[in-house]
Amino acid sequence: MPIVIRPAILRNAAWLWFFGALAILAVGFREAIFIAPTEATMGDVQRIFYYHVPSALMGLIFPYVNFFASLAYLYWRRRDPLKALAADALALASAEVTVVFVSIGLLTGMLWARASWGIWWTWDARLTTYLLLWLLYVSYLLLRRFSSSGESNTLAAVISVFAAVDVPIVYMSIHWWRTQHPSPVFSGNGSLDPSMWPAFLWNVFGWGLWGVFIILFRFALERRRQLAEQDDALTAIEASLETAP
Amino acid sequence: MTWQSFFNMSTMEHSHLVIAYIAVWAIQLGYLGWITRQWLRTKGPRN
Repeated sequence: MPIVIRPAILRNAAWLWFFGALAILAVGFREAIFIAPTEATMGDVQRIFYYHVPSALMGLIFPYVNFFASLAYLYWRRRDPLKALAADALALASAEVTVVFVSIGLLTGMLWARASWGIWWTWDARLTTYLLLWLLYVSYLLLRRFSSSGESNTLAAVISVFAAVDVPIVYMSIHWWRTQHPSPVFSGNGSLDPSMWPAFLWNVFGWGLWGVFIILFRFALERRRQLAEQDDALTAIEASLETAP
Repeated sequence: MTWQSFFNMSTMEHSHLVIAYIAVWAIQLGYLGWITRQWLRTKGPRN
């Protein structure tokens, strides 16, 4: 017997999640701006790090939601079209949220680079592969939005599988190649000072909760649209049956 | 750092810090606002 969760419980859980994420982000902001020490060489502009890295990290995690949802869509599209529709809604939601987080990663990175390196952009491996990731997911969304082919969702799902390949390349780029971009935060020469970890972790946690909330909200919107379309189709069929001789 | 020094826009370092933080919230809240607007404009299921 399927488990049915009442809409009121879901709504309350969503509000709780939303305000929880906001509260944690408020703590993260306070830690990042007022508590964390000023970095010795870069000064206060280094505080961009506390928003840049968590956003960039979410931009590398959420593509995998899109990847698995797209695989599920490809698997179910002939076997179980209703499940395929739900998987497709999740793939779309996660792709949009990926574009949001990757855009923020690129924008905050450019603002930080201009102030600390003196340049807005450089074609090094990390930045280039990250820009490529953004382009891949923007292409995914454009294909879904503007393709007139009846198979646009299937084509988009195939793009998503290829796009996911770029994620480990982005992550490993600073290990594989010598880049302008700093070394990894979690290991190597770029290790974070212990006094900066709380601000970093609060923001990673806060933006993670925020990202999951936004994906679920966008997913719920897409499901609502799909159900509204189904309702309209059913209404049209009922109307045609009533007028039939 | 204090609120006063956070909003001190006299140097590129400080102005870029403020712009980055405001831009992050503007993008995230803008996207959330767009989803909310679409949600309110999409009718719920019949039952």
